[in-house]
Amino acid sequence: MDPADIERHVDATAAVLGLPLAPAHRPGVLQYFALAAGMAGQVMDLPLGPEDEPAEVFVPVEPPR
Amino acid sequence: MTADALLLQPAHVIAQAVRRRDCSALALAEAAATRLQATDGVVNAFTQRTLQRAFARAAALDARLAAGDTTAQALPLAGVPYAVKNLFDIEGVVTLAGSKIERDRAPAARDAVLVQRMDAAGAVLLGALNMDEYAYGFTTENSHEGPTRNPHDPTRVAGGSSGGSAAAVAAGQVPLTLGSDTNGSIRVPASLCGVFGLKPTFGRLPRTGSYPFVASLDHLGPFARSARDLALAYDAMQGADAADPSCVARPFEPTSAALGQTLPAGLRVGVLGGWFREMALPEARAATDSVAAALGAKCTVDWPEVARARAAAFLITQAESSTLHLADLRQRPQDFEPLSRDRFLAGALLPAAWLVQAQRVRRWFARQVAASFADVDLLLAPATPCVAPAIGTEWLQLGDRRLPARASLGLLTQPVSCIGLPVCTVPVWGAHPALPIGVQLIAAPWREDLVLAAAAALESQGVARAPVAALG
Repeated sequence: MDPADIERHVDATAAVLGLPLAPAHRPGVLQYFALAAGMAGQVMDLPLGPEDEPAEVFVPVEPPR
Repeated sequence: MTADALLLQPAHVIAQAVRRRDCSALALAEAAATRLQATDGVVNAFTQRTLQRAFARAAALDARLAAGDTTAQALPLAGVPYAVKNLFDIEGVVTLAGSKIERDRAPAARDAVLVQRMDAAGAVLLGALNMDEYAYGFTTENSHEGPTRNPHDPTRVAGGSSGGSAAAVAAGQVPLTLGSDTNGSIRVPASLCGVFGLKPTFGRLPRTGSYPFVASLDHLGPFARSARDLALAYDAMQGADAADPSCVARPFEPTSAALGQTLPAGLRVGVLGGWFREMALPEARAATDSVAAALGAKCTVDWPEVARARAAAFLITQAESSTLHLADLRQRPQDFEPLSRDRFLAGALLPAAWLVQAQRVRRWFARQVAASFADVDLLLAPATPCVAPAIGTEWLQLGDRRLPARASLGLLTQPVSCIGLPVCTVPVWGAHPALPIGVQLIAAPWREDLVLAAAAALESQGVARAPVAALG
């Protein structure tokens, strides 16, 4: 993602979530989002197959006895 | 031995003295309170003290022992003073999780499950310990409570996020503490403060009654100045709890009784290469090499795609932790720790595909690493890239890489906790002129017995040791 894409995504997603970004916080948010985008590039590039399920496993909850 | 002197001994020695009634639990609790008063102005490990509770419970234990109560006489941690990271619930105390925001919440109605189990084993709780806000950090430079200082050099960080837990043990305030580890928060401060730390297998110990950071990755575990103490505390805390959905119903698998001075016969030991050498300064590599020599390591093992595994842990951490705090991020962002607020805000904005793919990479990596344990039983890696940096350090130079210091302290721990392997961090001296550094002993899932046995063997050889810091 280039810096302009990051700014557009951050502002649009923050609006969707109702998450106000104060002017003093926005530069830091853009910096950390760019860092996350770099990390995302690494995980998105790894070729995976259908057998590679997410690591989360749901545990059903039994009613109280 | 006086209570003051006994306090500086390992927990198993203390418990034996209390069981024999050579020293009362109350005298020990009072000695710990006195040492805490004398040293915490420098160390700043404690955020809350539970002295009334400690004195009352210690006196009750002494009364049981005086009456010949055979159950009390068998308690493995009889009268051992301990303390917990301030994300563990303590009845009647506000669970801060390192924050300003949680100060407004009601006090906890009951103790966390692991606190209940430590108390049931005879340990005596002295209070709650400083940490990075909401466990998001590796230095315990907490802006609300002040930084926890490294007892071996108070100008340096204690590591984090369980910095108070490691520092309290290194400072001799208590011989045993509990902390949490999501990406390295037990192993990093154990390394920088020169104490032993155990991060059990993900899902082994229940987290019920502790403030979460990242439910997918959170582990709880003990710190101590000896491997035997870790094993005693770990054994006392084992057992499933249905209220923690990630806690696996494993049978009780005791470790402390089997600890000896030698390694299990035929133990195959390897050293992790690649990322785990490249992301370490010479002192970290030297400490690992000394442990490798002592354990007779025979091979180097290269895990594939370690950087991607670390990236997966990074993204899962950001997305889950930010969602947990979304309401407060909307309403009172100014009350968050300035060092982590912008990271929390950014983490709330990650696309869903990044999070789901990160969880898939995590599973893929776990399968690759599981295959590597066909040839070895124990793997070694530095716990941190460097010894404790000075408080306020912004950058870390690793070869030709200039990296942000705070996040980089977890470079070597994050890929391991990402897949939940059990790790004991052992403190090594001599690789750096003045400061300790830790080495991770890593085993396949559920083999806490192996990492603790290896730690005990290294301790008996003098390769790993955790002296009380000479404060002032």
